[in-house]
Amino acid sequence: MTEKENYLGYKSQSIEVMKKFGAKTWSKVEITTDNGTSTGIILPRNKFSKDGYIEIKLKNGYNIGIPVGRDTQIKVLGEVPPMEVSFDQDIPPKNKNLPNIYLIGTGGTIASRLDYTTGAVIPAFEPGELYTAVPELSDICNLETEVAYKLLSENIEPSYWLVLAKKIVNLGKKKIDGVVIAHGTDTMSYTAAALSFLLKDLNFPVVLVGSQRSSDRPSSDAAMNLINAVTVAGKANLGEVVLTMMGSSAHDYGFIHRATRVRKMHSSVRHTFRSIGITPLGMIRDGDIQYFTEDLIHRSPKSKKKVSCWPKIEDKVALIYSYPAMKGEILDFYIDQGYKGIVFAGSGLGHLPSKMYPAIERAHKKKIPMLMTVQTLWGYTGMDVYETGRELQAIGIIPGKNILPEVGFAKMCWVLGNFETYDEIKNQLLTNVAGEITLGESMNGYQILQGVESSIPQKNV
Amino acid sequence: MGNGKKTELEHDYKAVGLKCGIEIHQQLNSKTKLFCSCRNELQGTREPDFRVLRKQRPVLGEEGVFDKGMLSEFLKKGSVIYEGYYDCTCTYELDETPPFACNEKCIDIALEISQLLKMNIVRELHVCRKNYVDGSVPGGFQRTMELGQDGKLLLKSGKEIGIENIFLEEDAARRIETKGKTTYFRVDRLGIPLVEITTTPDIHDPEEAREAAYRIGLLLRSTNKVKTVIGSTRQDINISIKGGQRIEIKGVQKLDWIPELIKNEVHRQKILIEIRKLLKKGTITADDVILKPVDLTAIFKNTECRFVKAGIGRKSKFIGLRIPGFNGIFGKEVLPNRRFGTEVAEKVKTIAGLKGLIHSDEDLIKKYQFSEKEIQLTKEKLEIGNEDLFILLLAKGQPLETALDVIVGRCKMAFDGVPEETRQAKDDGTHVFLRELGGEKRLYPDTDTPPIILDEQRIVRIGDTLGPYPWDLIDEYGKKYQLEKELIEDLVMRGKIPLFDSLISIMPDNSMLVLRTITDMVKVLHREEKNVDNLEERHFRELLVGVFEKEIAKEAMEDILRVWTDTPNVTLTKAKEKAGIGSFDLSTLDAIVEDLIQKNLELVQSKGRGAMGPLMGDLMKIVGRGAVDGKILSAKLAKAIGKISSPVKGKNGKKGKGTQSNKK
Repeated sequence: MTEKENYLGYKSQSIEVMKKFGAKTWSKVEITTDNGTSTGIILPRNKFSKDGYIEIKLKNGYNIGIPVGRDTQIKVLGEVPPMEVSFDQDIPPKNKNLPNIYLIGTGGTIASRLDYTTGAVIPAFEPGELYTAVPELSDICNLETEVAYKLLSENIEPSYWLVLAKKIVNLGKKKIDGVVIAHGTDTMSYTAAALSFLLKDLNFPVVLVGSQRSSDRPSSDAAMNLINAVTVAGKANLGEVVLTMMGSSAHDYGFIHRATRVRKMHSSVRHTFRSIGITPLGMIRDGDIQYFTEDLIHRSPKSKKKVSCWPKIEDKVALIYSYPAMKGEILDFYIDQGYKGIVFAGSGLGHLPSKMYPAIERAHKKKIPMLMTVQTLWGYTGMDVYETGRELQAIGIIPGKNILPEVGFAKMCWVLGNFETYDEIKNQLLTNVAGEITLGESMNGYQILQGVESSIPQKNV
Repeated sequence: MGNGKKTELEHDYKAVGLKCGIEIHQQLNSKTKLFCSCRNELQGTREPDFRVLRKQRPVLGEEGVFDKGMLSEFLKKGSVIYEGYYDCTCTYELDETPPFACNEKCIDIALEISQLLKMNIVRELHVCRKNYVDGSVPGGFQRTMELGQDGKLLLKSGKEIGIENIFLEEDAARRIETKGKTTYFRVDRLGIPLVEITTTPDIHDPEEAREAAYRIGLLLRSTNKVKTVIGSTRQDINISIKGGQRIEIKGVQKLDWIPELIKNEVHRQKILIEIRKLLKKGTITADDVILKPVDLTAIFKNTECRFVKAGIGRKSKFIGLRIPGFNGIFGKEVLPNRRFGTEVAEKVKTIAGLKGLIHSDEDLIKKYQFSEKEIQLTKEKLEIGNEDLFILLLAKGQPLETALDVIVGRCKMAFDGVPEETRQAKDDGTHVFLRELGGEKRLYPDTDTPPIILDEQRIVRIGDTLGPYPWDLIDEYGKKYQLEKELIEDLVMRGKIPLFDSLISIMPDNSMLVLRTITDMVKVLHREEKNVDNLEERHFRELLVGVFEKEIAKEAMEDILRVWTDTPNVTLTKAKEKAGIGSFDLSTLDAIVEDLIQKNLELVQSKGRGAMGPLMGDLMKIVGRGAVDGKILSAKLAKAIGKISSPVKGKNGKKGKGTQSNKK
């Protein structure tokens, strides 16, 4: 074992003490300090924790940290072999009455096992592992899996979206009924939107799914979300990209959201994903799907067309959130760095401080497309209403109507990768391609309750 | 204690090698919870504002024994509904937000307790998770951390017992009810800080166990930083004897139950060991006890036993099972009114949900109205020999299968003596099976929280603020204030020493009155279901000052407090008024007494001091309830009567007959 492996996570002060007595991680030891003696197994330490402590797991299962120094005595009693954790692989035989689903992993742990010693979460991803962790799957579908990449979703970049799109195109050549993509929830909606733009002639559902509570917890939403996703992918009459996660705090039903109108709206709750400006397409509960709208893109079984995708994606795009006293130099920076497109999240109806104007003009001269979206998330850009808006349009800002900022970003990446002229690009940005722009907003499109509505008595009319 | 008779069993605890350990869970009295800022306060019966449905799944571990059958069984158990309040429970309790920073005040309280118990304090705390999938914690696990090890507690006898550990952890949600397949839990209790204190098993007799539990409780209360309401302290005991096994008994609600529980458990273990010896002497081994159920439904379909006939009518099966070598074993009494058969039946009930196990050590004819023929046929079909016992079960489906497994399993365990179990205490000194002890909750690190470093200054700072040990304080106060130890102990247990301390200076010579005011009087009002929480230090202070300055009679104190429980913000004067206590001008008292005596001259002359009784009543009516201190009235009256009944009192004057000394 290397030095690093022998003292996993420990720093110089602690290592010095351990070395003195021939102790290392996974040694069973008796440590004596001024505060008494403790017996246990030395555990790996988190590299951000303070130096000068040794972490042990006591016989009763509890972990404690012991400050060590010159007077510390360590007696090594033995070694504990590192845990070999593996899953039972139990793949049920294919059932031709069930839909064939392909599950692509991008790094989230939709199912996992726990290493009780370190608390580490060991992902389950092979079909056999998934069936072990979520046996209900075998009643719902035949499952094949593939790991596309293993990334924390905050580190996923536009190029990865294209990797996924291409994989889906390949899958489209096989006999499959739907695709599920397991994804970290931080940027799941970006990937979902991007796939909506990249894929053409999609003939089956592509379902993005994740978990808000990791699957190593008994309270996790992972299993229910996975079951819902697989059910939708298998039997929903949909031919578009959707996202499914829990609809409420209860383990009750999931929502099916259109990929271009969904957003993560809370940092931690289970039902953080909400459709903005429209209702979700439908819900799923105990295997039954119910739709809330007829505005759906269905599978087209008679079509001979196979799914294909646009060939490229551009990643040098910036998403800029406007704020008071934002200066033009911010935009100048992006222009100088060679950014190909800018998406603004402007204030109000799509406004920016007027000090930005010279830089905007400069960008426009260089034919850098600039799309305006609204920070308020709900509502349309209304850039004809005030002078600011008219001015901004005159100097090159393209109104995004009611496209969400994050979706605007994904769209810009797609448009820049696959269209040449400024006019073509502008035209695409102004056109509704995949449901990202709606014709209008119904009165139940804006849903933010303040927690007191029920205590406000209804006025008699 | 309950209505069970106390066992007359006596044991030589030394000879049987009795080992006991106590485990206490105590809620701390911080303002807010351990990992969030919600109020640390139970909401009683207040209706919840919301309910959320959840389902939990077991998690695979290293030895992930997690097959489809286990999962489906688990899922069949149904769902959980969490109830909460908008104003005092937050998204943390519903597992929708990660934990906030650990409450430093709670750590301080736990450190204080640890130092009182002379523990070695952990310098870097690591929060761990203990998984519970019974629904009592929405996150699926409880957060808990070890704070100290290897402490000591001094008992009254002078013996020191070891305190193995102290943990700081969150309390779980409280179970409200189970309706069908759904269990309701309320999350107001979730997250309330607890310390768990475990002793080493070096307690060797029942009284010592009670004493240890009592001393720990007293010590905790003496910090005045723990909750004192019912349910805020939970006690469990571990018991084993030589040749037996460690049994954990949970939910020991009253200290007085402890010696009885231990006595009974020692007896139970002795009997189980005897049973083991008996079985070993015979020719049967554990391997001979096998699962070979026989369907006897046909034999019993027309039985006189009504419940069996009805059950068969409902498509239940009547199954027989032979247990070789167990004839007479099931009938052996292990606890008062409880037999080995009862033990098995209780385990079946808890695990399989099935009630009513019938066995051949019972009087089958008398008890169940089975016929001789039915029994004969059963014996034949099951091939029952002289040494054998048989079991009869009315059930169907999964519960039947589970029940049979439990019965066979438990009989096999009898060959080893005492199975390790967790049991639930009952108020009659007995206890029933709760779960297998081996199903221990696994602990693993909580990766949502950072480690907590406790620096030396903090530990020293808290060490410097430690108060005296309660037993020392009780000695001290007993001497200083001339009060009985039990009374001071009561003050400590109720967390009222600080209140006593702040009030005693008002009348240092009448410590009894001060004590009575803050304990007995409050108790009376509490029993009347008055809102005693409205009484604060200022009320007691005003009242005692008033008594000291003779503006209020002692007799009026309770009435005034009663008014304040309803309307705590009225002045003392207003409270007196509301209590119907008149003001009285003491200067008029002499004239009134004279007048009263004159009106009752005959009585006084004939009875002398014996007239005190009736006349006191009259006098009080005239003066007004509680308006004047009774001592003053009786002194005046006695004096006035004395003058009449012995008008001439020389040095050798004898007092008139009917003398009664009048002590108040």
